[in-house]
Amino acid sequence: MFEAVKRDGIARIGILSGVGSRVRCESAQEEQTDQIRYQTPIAIDVDKLFPDISDERHRFTSVPLFASEKFTARYMPEYKDAVFKTPNSGNVAESGSMLVIANWQTVLDNPRYYADAVIKIKSGVPADTCMYAPASALPSNVCTLICSGFDLFDYRAVDLKSVQNIFCTQDGEFPAEEAFGRGICSCSGCKKGDLKEHNRNMLDNEIETVKYFIRTGHVRELLERRCRNTAAQVSIMRLFDENYEFSEKRTPIVRPTRLYANTGESMKRPEVKRFVNRVIERFVPSRTDVAVLIPCSAKKPYSQSQSHIKFQSAIQNRAHEIIITSPLGIVPRELERIYPAGHYDVPVTGYWDGEERAFITDAIARYFEKNRYEKVFVHLDGDSLGIAEAALKRAGIGYEVTASERLTSAESLKKLQDALQGYRKVSPDIIGGTVSYQFGATHENFDSSKLRLKGKFLREKVLMGNRQLFSVDTETGCFRPTFDGWELIESGYRVYIDNFVPQGDILAPGVSDCDRDIREGDEVLVVGENALATGKAMMGADEMLSSRRGVAVRVRKVKKL
Amino acid sequence: MRSEYGDRVEKPLACWSGKETHNGEIIDCLTIIFKSGGCSWNRCTMCGYKSERYRNVTCDELTENIKRQLAYVLSEYKIEKFPLIKIFTSGSFFDSNEVPPAARDAIGAAFRGKTIIAESRTECVKSDILEGFREIIDDGSQKTPLYVAMGLETSNDFIREKCIDKGHTFEDFKTAVSQARNAGCGTKTYLMMKPPYLTELEAMNDMQSSIRDVIPYSDIISMNLCNIQNMTEVEKLWKQNAYRPPYLWSVLKVLIEAGTHVLCDPVAGGKKRGPHNCGKCDYEIVDAIREYSLSGDTEMLKMLYEKGCDCKNEWEFVLKEEKPFCMPLTH
Repeated sequence: MFEAVKRDGIARIGILSGVGSRVRCESAQEEQTDQIRYQTPIAIDVDKLFPDISDERHRFTSVPLFASEKFTARYMPEYKDAVFKTPNSGNVAESGSMLVIANWQTVLDNPRYYADAVIKIKSGVPADTCMYAPASALPSNVCTLICSGFDLFDYRAVDLKSVQNIFCTQDGEFPAEEAFGRGICSCSGCKKGDLKEHNRNMLDNEIETVKYFIRTGHVRELLERRCRNTAAQVSIMRLFDENYEFSEKRTPIVRPTRLYANTGESMKRPEVKRFVNRVIERFVPSRTDVAVLIPCSAKKPYSQSQSHIKFQSAIQNRAHEIIITSPLGIVPRELERIYPAGHYDVPVTGYWDGEERAFITDAIARYFEKNRYEKVFVHLDGDSLGIAEAALKRAGIGYEVTASERLTSAESLKKLQDALQGYRKVSPDIIGGTVSYQFGATHENFDSSKLRLKGKFLREKVLMGNRQLFSVDTETGCFRPTFDGWELIESGYRVYIDNFVPQGDILAPGVSDCDRDIREGDEVLVVGENALATGKAMMGADEMLSSRRGVAVRVRKVKKL
Repeated sequence: MRSEYGDRVEKPLACWSGKETHNGEIIDCLTIIFKSGGCSWNRCTMCGYKSERYRNVTCDELTENIKRQLAYVLSEYKIEKFPLIKIFTSGSFFDSNEVPPAARDAIGAAFRGKTIIAESRTECVKSDILEGFREIIDDGSQKTPLYVAMGLETSNDFIREKCIDKGHTFEDFKTAVSQARNAGCGTKTYLMMKPPYLTELEAMNDMQSSIRDVIPYSDIISMNLCNIQNMTEVEKLWKQNAYRPPYLWSVLKVLIEAGTHVLCDPVAGGKKRGPHNCGKCDYEIVDAIREYSLSGDTEMLKMLYEKGCDCKNEWEFVLKEEKPFCMPLTH
């Protein structure tokens, strides 16, 4: 049986259990069935775990990965303890089963087939099925495999390298006569001069490393490094990013950690695209009479930085503050604490490359095409000034540049302050901005004017009178609605259950239906005949609906009806 | 094709001379591949001749075309030099739709007195047709003037159907053999080592059992090693990383342990598209196989097999670890 317990994008940590492996007890000279639990991803002698797949009775059953549906249906094997699966196999798999993605090693050099096949296979099986990639895993590619959703590996690929006298590392494969025993590694295999042991050690180590990065929510950053090993792996990552519909569903809404946007592909992360889309499509700005575009700061949230303290004292809430930044494009002041706006790190040299320029120009232009401000002030310099000007011209919005040389110089700040004189002061509406961004802008009856944010910075509550409607998740900046808060959010983010009263968390099989927009990390309202519950989604909508195992919603409060 | 002889001759698909061992003697042999009306089955996965055929021709035109090819052969080669003629059509020489009887008779008359080995699918091997042709070539000088060569490929019906799509069974082959023998003909059996969809071990084991199985039905056994020809199913699989031609180690093992003389011409041996090892040891082994094919002496094969190479470990690993759900492991 397989169950995913921790996800980070497409990658996950899972538990494979109930695999009956016969262990010979030497002292007693008898066989006993040992039920072992394995934490995935893992490399293991899969043929021993699932002996039927390499049984003699399945000889001559090879079916190429891209064989036609007809050929596949005619010749594919039926395993006792696992399910043969290829993109064209058309067979169903039950929750918890082990899928043998047959001949996966043949597609490793073919990124387009690779990505298409993963998408086709994953879209056709429950999320809680264990994906085995035979003869594929090397220390240099297993991060990509895990980030493609594979859980189970064997040692065939590394053992083959060993018989070919090739030394494996997470950075690539090298001739053993040049690299082995040269101090590159000092594992047990290297100490013994045993290449096979070294290569297996490297694979195990790399899998553990990837697991660590999944646990800490940083597997994407690791992938962005490791995929550089081969052109094919870079392409695979890019293809999954391009396939936004597939990847976004599996990408958490929030992480409690920083997002390191240190490569060109960081900008292509589903999190980034989703943020930009939501700012443009969902977010309702506090005001649309006058805006000021200002640069980002290294410190997050921006308002805690020296430069922003200066900007804000010059602006005095006389304009809607919009921060121009890479890779997120635009961050309205109201959203500065929300993931990933309050969480990203990016190398800052003042240089913006061509792709960044195009991406950010597009984001700014789309925002201003939708939100028609009467007046826009641009307090930017260098490359970002050029980008903002190009975007505003495209959107057909008039603007005024308020900085001369240094943006934080007394002269520039004075110029900014003078330019804004006469505009009315309106505080940024963090409540309205956050609710529209997080839950969608379509809640017509939502009126934030009666609500107030109370408490210390990042420890706030949202109150209406004395009733608490939301608390603020200090790690992610998102709002956590109370039952009263949910009354204001009339639709969306509902998880439906049958007529039971939840005792603890909602498990996936308990979910009868849910809104398709729900992603891991979303705040949700659990709705049943006999109870309501507030909580946080631990998996995306598709996974909730297709899985039979795992926590779907971590419940905060239950209300019997 | 027009040549210096004008319309009267046409070059066959291929024609070459070589040495061949026959009845324990190494003799000169002429091999001719005639362009015909085309194979009536035309489905085999590794066949590279599917489009080699005359299209939209009448029976008379087809007869003339084949006769022009014969004229070319007779004008280009000193026929009296060759006691043995091997005839292929990329289909069935004894299929009268492919090779009209008049054309076949002309060929027979041209090679009267020689030994002919002509290839045909099993369903076209009929006593009456064979007997008629044998009588044309037989001048009493040869003990067995006509051998029918049939591509059984493997004695395993499942493999033949799945991996080759050959369209006949081992039983069909046995029936064809008795038809041939009734007509006073010898039989030559072609086997195919490592068609697609087989692991290295499955392919090797299949050849070992096939050789054992066909001995009673064969006067000559010839083992082809699957290679990748343009525009074939096998090529498509190869390009998808889904096929690897056999290791020469497997070929050595099969030939050494065959217990009978198995002819084998390792076409494209040592090349990516043919049976190959690592690239270092290949050519020595390929030469030894060619030598063995003539002599039947396995000494050199045994020597090279024992001598090994760095890549022999890889081959042994592949035999053990390559399974139907993870193949091929190497390229």
